[in-house]
Amino acid sequence: MVRGDFFILLPLIITGGAAVAVMLLISFRRSHLATATVTLVALGAAVISVICVAAAAPRQASALLILDSYALFYMGLIFAAGCAVTMIAYDYFERQTDHREEFYLLLLLATLGSAVLVSSNHFASLFLGLEILSVSLYALIAFHRERLPSVEAGVRYLILAAASSAFLLFGMALIYLERGDMTFFRSTQIASGVPAWSPLLLAGTALLIVGIGFKLALVPFHMWTPDIYEGAPPPATAFIASVSKGAAFVLLLRYVTLFGLHSGSVQSAAIAAIAVASMFFGNLLALREEKVRRVLAYSSIAHMGYLLVAILAAGPLAAVAAGYYLVAYFTSIIGSFGIISVREGREGGGDAVSDYRGYAWRHPWLGGAFTAMLLSLAGIPITAGFVGKFYLLAAGLESSLRLLVVVLVASSAIGLFYYLRIIITLYGPPEAERQGAAITPAVSLAGGVALTALTFLLIWFGAYPAPLLRLIQAMVGG
Amino acid sequence: MLSLLWLIPLLPLAGFLSIVLGGGRMRGSMVALIAVGVVGLSAAMAAAVAIRFIYLPPAGNSFTQTLWTWIPATGFMPEISLRLDALSLVMVTVITFVAFLILLYSAEFMGGDEGYARFFAWMDLFVASMLVLVLADNFLLLYLGWEGVGMCSFLLIGFWYRDSANARAARKAFIVTRIGDAAFVVALFLIFTHLGTLTIQEAAARASREWPVGSGLAVAAAALMLAAAVGKSAQLPLQTWLPDAMAGPTPVSALIHAATMVTAGVYLIARANAFFTLAPFVQWLVAVIGAVTLLLAAFAALVQCDIKRVLAYSTMSQVGYMFLALGVGAWSAAIFHFMVHAFFKSLLFLGAGAVIMALHEEHDIFAMGGLRRALPGTFWAFLIGAASLAALPVVTAGFYSKDLILLCDWTSKSGSVWLWAAGLAGAFLTAMYAFRLVFIVFFGELRTKPGRKPGFRMGAALAVLAFFSLSAGFIQIPPDIVNFSPLSELLETSLPRLSAVSVGTQTEALLQAVAGLAGLAGIFFAWFFFRHPALVERLVLTPLGSAFRRLWLEGWCFDRAYDALFVRPYIRLAEINKDDCIDLLNRTLARACESMHYLLIGTQNGRVRQYAAAVTLGAIVIIALMVLL
Amino acid sequence: MITVPIEHVILMAAILFSLGLTGVLARRNVLFILLSIEVMLNAAGIAFVAAGARWAQADGQIMFLFILTMAAAEVAVGLAIILQYYRHTGTLDVDAMGGGRR
Repeated sequence: MVRGDFFILLPLIITGGAAVAVMLLISFRRSHLATATVTLVALGAAVISVICVAAAAPRQASALLILDSYALFYMGLIFAAGCAVTMIAYDYFERQTDHREEFYLLLLLATLGSAVLVSSNHFASLFLGLEILSVSLYALIAFHRERLPSVEAGVRYLILAAASSAFLLFGMALIYLERGDMTFFRSTQIASGVPAWSPLLLAGTALLIVGIGFKLALVPFHMWTPDIYEGAPPPATAFIASVSKGAAFVLLLRYVTLFGLHSGSVQSAAIAAIAVASMFFGNLLALREEKVRRVLAYSSIAHMGYLLVAILAAGPLAAVAAGYYLVAYFTSIIGSFGIISVREGREGGGDAVSDYRGYAWRHPWLGGAFTAMLLSLAGIPITAGFVGKFYLLAAGLESSLRLLVVVLVASSAIGLFYYLRIIITLYGPPEAERQGAAITPAVSLAGGVALTALTFLLIWFGAYPAPLLRLIQAMVGG
Repeated sequence: MLSLLWLIPLLPLAGFLSIVLGGGRMRGSMVALIAVGVVGLSAAMAAAVAIRFIYLPPAGNSFTQTLWTWIPATGFMPEISLRLDALSLVMVTVITFVAFLILLYSAEFMGGDEGYARFFAWMDLFVASMLVLVLADNFLLLYLGWEGVGMCSFLLIGFWYRDSANARAARKAFIVTRIGDAAFVVALFLIFTHLGTLTIQEAAARASREWPVGSGLAVAAAALMLAAAVGKSAQLPLQTWLPDAMAGPTPVSALIHAATMVTAGVYLIARANAFFTLAPFVQWLVAVIGAVTLLLAAFAALVQCDIKRVLAYSTMSQVGYMFLALGVGAWSAAIFHFMVHAFFKSLLFLGAGAVIMALHEEHDIFAMGGLRRALPGTFWAFLIGAASLAALPVVTAGFYSKDLILLCDWTSKSGSVWLWAAGLAGAFLTAMYAFRLVFIVFFGELRTKPGRKPGFRMGAALAVLAFFSLSAGFIQIPPDIVNFSPLSELLETSLPRLSAVSVGTQTEALLQAVAGLAGLAGIFFAWFFFRHPALVERLVLTPLGSAFRRLWLEGWCFDRAYDALFVRPYIRLAEINKDDCIDLLNRTLARACESMHYLLIGTQNGRVRQYAAAVTLGAIVIIALMVLL
Repeated sequence: MITVPIEHVILMAAILFSLGLTGVLARRNVLFILLSIEVMLNAAGIAFVAAGARWAQADGQIMFLFILTMAAAEVAVGLAIILQYYRHTGTLDVDAMGGGRR
């Protein structure tokens, strides 16, 4: 380790340091506002530090981490998403009484794990990042220890995530056995540049895909999603849906691109099968689901399926398409769960679609924002989701992935149904007994700022994508 | 200065957004200030841009401002770019200016309405959409404005949506214009697939290069755009929505008829003139449609009893004149008439609105009468508007624009005596129905006592519009009077010049005299019939007279014909056919999706060990796939 | 000194892994499921050690240490959650969990 290494690792150091600071702060004095502020400032500083160190990229920091522009871009995205989740969490926990400060500690650790994941270049750092993320997530999911559904969701995630990381580890061991090296580059490439496939190597890769596929909730490793989305506190769900999945996806994209799995090889058939199944199953599962959070859980399965198209496409456009789609997806899904969290905290009540009847009339701003988020998830023009999907399609067509593109379009059409169903309910006539009870205020300052910013970004990226597109092209396109 | 072009459509859009986002909490005066203010600013910007453009013309007499490329992909560059040339300059100036006056008027007219903020939000969006439409540099952006205009007209026609008749009128307008919009989309696909670009100038240039005159593709493209234009501009055969569209508040009618919406079709044909030049048959069709529409609508306007309905048919008829001009290649004459029409038609509508407001929502002209003394200001404004509409010679603007169209019909290479005669007959009828309205509403005895009189804001709008209804014609004076025609000189920098057969000055003067006389004769007949109501009654009581009256009252029974020919057979067919294979396929698909959902959802039973089993099974399958394949 | 062929070690690791997996699928008691997961993790650890031995590197053993550490952390958090679960329900049976479509 030299000084340059420390400098380039600044974003990770800030996040890790902030976790320690928050822990100490909690042990000295419990203050929700102070904890949330420290977290927010730290994550904001991490975003800024990403921009600062970008000039020094790319740089290999020890054998474990590589901080190239690709990693830095997604790191910035993860930290920014962490900021948004922090603000939403502050809004949510401000109305809870018990032990709320630890949430931010866990959030910081989970963010740190995700950041390690996107910059990892070695199986050891992959494993470490993944486990830091997972272990923090167990606690985040079961954070409402007084509520059984939350605890149950925690137990579920614990069992499944631990088992799937065993799969992942075994896969890594097999690849190591065959390749004799655990860095990504050398474990995927031999001198000739093309890996010679042996059964054990194939089995190892397959197990690796299982481990990552679980984090991404791809079919058939998707079953945990609805229960966890429903049981976890909404801010934690926002984090799982965005950062946790996004980091795993970024890792998969890097690894698979290095492996050259995409180039129409037989091995890519397995990934294509997963993609097709995820797109269809996700959208079909959500079709008649009555609970909003479960709908979003199923829809996220489909979204990860869409993203796999970019992995398989691997043309010059694919990385850009994946980047844009991830940004759009982060924005819309954090926003959606932000609104769910704001509503749940104030109106209470169930999470059924019918509970949202007339919500947009009671809270025009929040209702409008939710509408924008859902339209973006559905991929309707003038939202970021549309541009993302457009580029996914363009990338798919560029690599002549006809079947996958057709499935993407067809399953999106199915998906439109349940998004529109929620939107229509939002604008439905409010129930009589709810009508009188106006809830004041609709949202706190922190939540309001976060949601407004997210909605603004959503429309901006949808109507004027050029700046973001240029940034992504510069960061991940090369 | 020119680089601030983007502000012109953005300002009304910003007004729309701020009212939508904060309108619920704003006071009415604040809403009006924002809504009127942004359009006023936009009009000021347009004026500044116009001055800069005229006195210091940019290179190539056009200025293109590319703001950004929306979603670039291989071969598809949807640019958000604006183009200012003489055509869009005239359009923008007139639209912003007239819209500003209409909005100023509405600030008072709509006072106390529960949907005050909603009204102004939609009006601003309407103006913004129309500005995007006329400033668009490519067909895609133009189409965005086109659809925006359609949506706003739907929202505003159905503004008082609690009354189901209004909602029905809104739906009708939307669906009928939709037919044209569908044709437009097909035209865009055609242009993009065959010419490989959606930029208007580029597409026109390529079309002129690659498509021979009268070739199938050119005819198809022009015909599809014509279909789009007749939908928006309420020309035959898609004109039926316009008379019903007066269900909205009167300022909305003024905006739809004068500045936005119905003129979009005229603009489209003028903008895409290269395609029409390549398809002479379609261009001839434009002229014929215009001629027929102007006559039919003028007849229908003769017998209407609803003040706004008369004006609606008159718009149809006047837009028919514009089509007639476009059809004979007199592009700049059409735009000239658009401009003059914008002034006097908004004046007439706003005057009618003042009358309606004063008489407590009374629309029937026979319940009015004698308002000359009770509402003098409104009377003079309305009289000026009607005189301009009737093309009263020399003093009104309508005379100069209509005269130019008639002259072009005569002199154009593609014109004919028949088209000229239709225009002339139309001029006679126009004068007759315009002054029939004036006499019945403002002369005779007072039937209803007027209540609220127009205040300062409404009066100001009326006065300014009245001034321009008289004076706007002087920027284009026929050469035999004074040779002064800056407008056509300006417009000919972006539109092709009329290819005319030269006729002598004497013939021109003769034609002008005939046109002027036709208008005067119309006014005389209106006066004559007004003084002799018994004569009219006798005429109406004859079998032929009553038949025609009924026919015209229903606008030549197009609604009934369409209902019998298309709507009901379609509905019956749909009912008979509701279980055909396509429906069956759709329904089967939906059912299949649903049953698959129920099948799959069974797996989500919360049993964590089954979830783990699924992971294991998936792992085994993937390993098998990877290793064995 | 007798060297054990690498294939045998991997085979043993695979068998151990499958045993652990079977435990996860078959046991209903959460504690035993956690134990089974530990078995799976250790199977992966053995595979790492064997792989390291094949290439005569220390990396495999280092990975094993990582696995041990992370497993300990996982169990610490896991047991806390399981304790909460037990407090709520009075049972450790995972099949007693509600959920799914309620």
